[in-house]
Amino acid sequence: MPRLFFFLCGVGLAGSAASAQLPGLRRYTPADHHQPAAPVVQGIDAQRAEFAAQSGGTTVYFGVGSAIVGAPAKAVLSAQAAWLRRHPEVVVRVEGYGDAGDTRDHALALGARRAEEARDYLLLLGIPSAQVSTTSWGKERSGLGRAVTILVR
Amino acid sequence: MKRLLYPLLLVSGMASAQPAAPTVIAIPPLTSPDSGARGNEMLAVGWEATEVIAADLGQTAELAPLKPNRDDYYAYPEVTAPTFSKWRSTGAKALVMGFVQSRSDGRLTFGCYVYDVDRGRELARKGFVIAPSEWRRAAHKCSGVAYTALTGAPGMFDTRIAYVAESGSGEGRMRRVAVMDSDGENLRYLTNGTSIVLTPRLAPKAQQLAYVSYADGRPSVRVLDLALGKERPLIATGAMSFAPRYSPDGSKIVFSMMTGDSSNIYVVDAAGGLPRRLTTSPGVDTDPSFSPDGSRIAFESDRGGSQQLYVMNADGSGQRRISFGNTAYAAPVWSPDGSWIAFSQRGPGTRRIGVIRPDGTGEAILTTGPGDESPSWAASSRALLFQRSDTSGRSTLWRIALDGTEPKPVTLSQGASDPDWSGAMD
Repeated sequence: MPRLFFFLCGVGLAGSAASAQLPGLRRYTPADHHQPAAPVVQGIDAQRAEFAAQSGGTTVYFGVGSAIVGAPAKAVLSAQAAWLRRHPEVVVRVEGYGDAGDTRDHALALGARRAEEARDYLLLLGIPSAQVSTTSWGKERSGLGRAVTILVR
Repeated sequence: MKRLLYPLLLVSGMASAQPAAPTVIAIPPLTSPDSGARGNEMLAVGWEATEVIAADLGQTAELAPLKPNRDDYYAYPEVTAPTFSKWRSTGAKALVMGFVQSRSDGRLTFGCYVYDVDRGRELARKGFVIAPSEWRRAAHKCSGVAYTALTGAPGMFDTRIAYVAESGSGEGRMRRVAVMDSDGENLRYLTNGTSIVLTPRLAPKAQQLAYVSYADGRPSVRVLDLALGKERPLIATGAMSFAPRYSPDGSKIVFSMMTGDSSNIYVVDAAGGLPRRLTTSPGVDTDPSFSPDGSRIAFESDRGGSQQLYVMNADGSGQRRISFGNTAYAAPVWSPDGSWIAFSQRGPGTRRIGVIRPDGTGEAILTTGPGDESPSWAASSRALLFQRSDTSGRSTLWRIALDGTEPKPVTLSQGASDPDWSGAMD
């Protein structure tokens, strides 16, 4: 209980310190109490929202025909890995997609390669292999040219 | 067996080839030696069979049946002694005659005769003893006798077509594995539509079917016994697997499996067991297809930087590239007679169907695209089914002959993709 207390204090302090540094940010006023409170989301939806917000997005993009994880993709995956390290109880699945115009099985293979390459980068950053699975949607669903990390549980 | 003078396949010079005019063939209604009420019954079966034969042969690029006329009846003895002069006057070059006779054991004898009208000569004859319910298959076999006698190529009428039936549209469309006779009859759905399914592939006698299912959330090959309705995963591991195809004798299945970051080609006994790895290159090796003698496998690989066609021995040795175009080449399928490999060619904004010799010569593009893929051979090796997708993503099946004629749509009541045309069922 004391640890939780300190943790909350820390968050509060960090929050006010950050807002103090940002020019133009509206300070807290009692009037804010009149606005309806945001709905409290819990469980996997809340985690998904937090994961998406704190990892710079769930999606990484690839060049046409390529499964190479480029610099922008690495930045996103690094942020995902940082979040996943803080949430070892969470299991994710990386879902790869092929390209538009591709033939069915090549799209399937390319989507699988993209998912595996993205997963490999997460493992390289220290995420346990059991925490990340993969699948490929090829060209069977919309989302071409990318790999998306989905929270499973 | 003598053949009529027949145009050879024109595909090797496709660019300038004009399709040859199809041979006109007369198919008067099958007769019966039976008399009385039984005779009328047999004539009724014979008439239905006649219409099936005309429809079968009308699907081919090589033959043009005259519309059967129910008044063109002939007496039973004429089956073996046609009045050729009558058929010459109609312009017919070939003639199919036959009879349906009831047997004392309740079955039917189905006789089929093929004639060269100009020469006044018999080209082929065949008889079948069948259960009354099998009259349609007997008609398909008679179509095959006529087609083979006139073209020299195997018949493709007593065959089945598997495909993915698509109802609805877009991402939420329901996809089910469907199997029908090649004339569209006896349609059956083999999966219930709860999971995405892809690439159904029939075993050579159409008794088994391998396909890709997303039932477990990732693509994996499953094998379905059509008679027993029993299904099992092809491999025990949870690895992503896809692109299955049977060996010509039905004993093995080649397929792709993800190993780490690469897709490689494996072979496994159709009855089960441990898969054996045939390719080891990084990147994508997929869409393997056996040669008809089972000694070689065509496949696609991007090991050279772009997707191209390769051929290897069935044990994985001797891998050799056979396509060298600037565009991507994918999904090779070996023809049943061994002389061609069909493929999907992918250029900027377009996918088209083409064929190439197994040694890499004779490449020809058959369709105009822009959304064509998944070619599958007729047992005759003279025609292909393929999938054509429009801009809205709706897919339909089309059929094209190698002789340069325009492709024709296959009439189905719903969308369809990934056709697979079986060999003759016996």
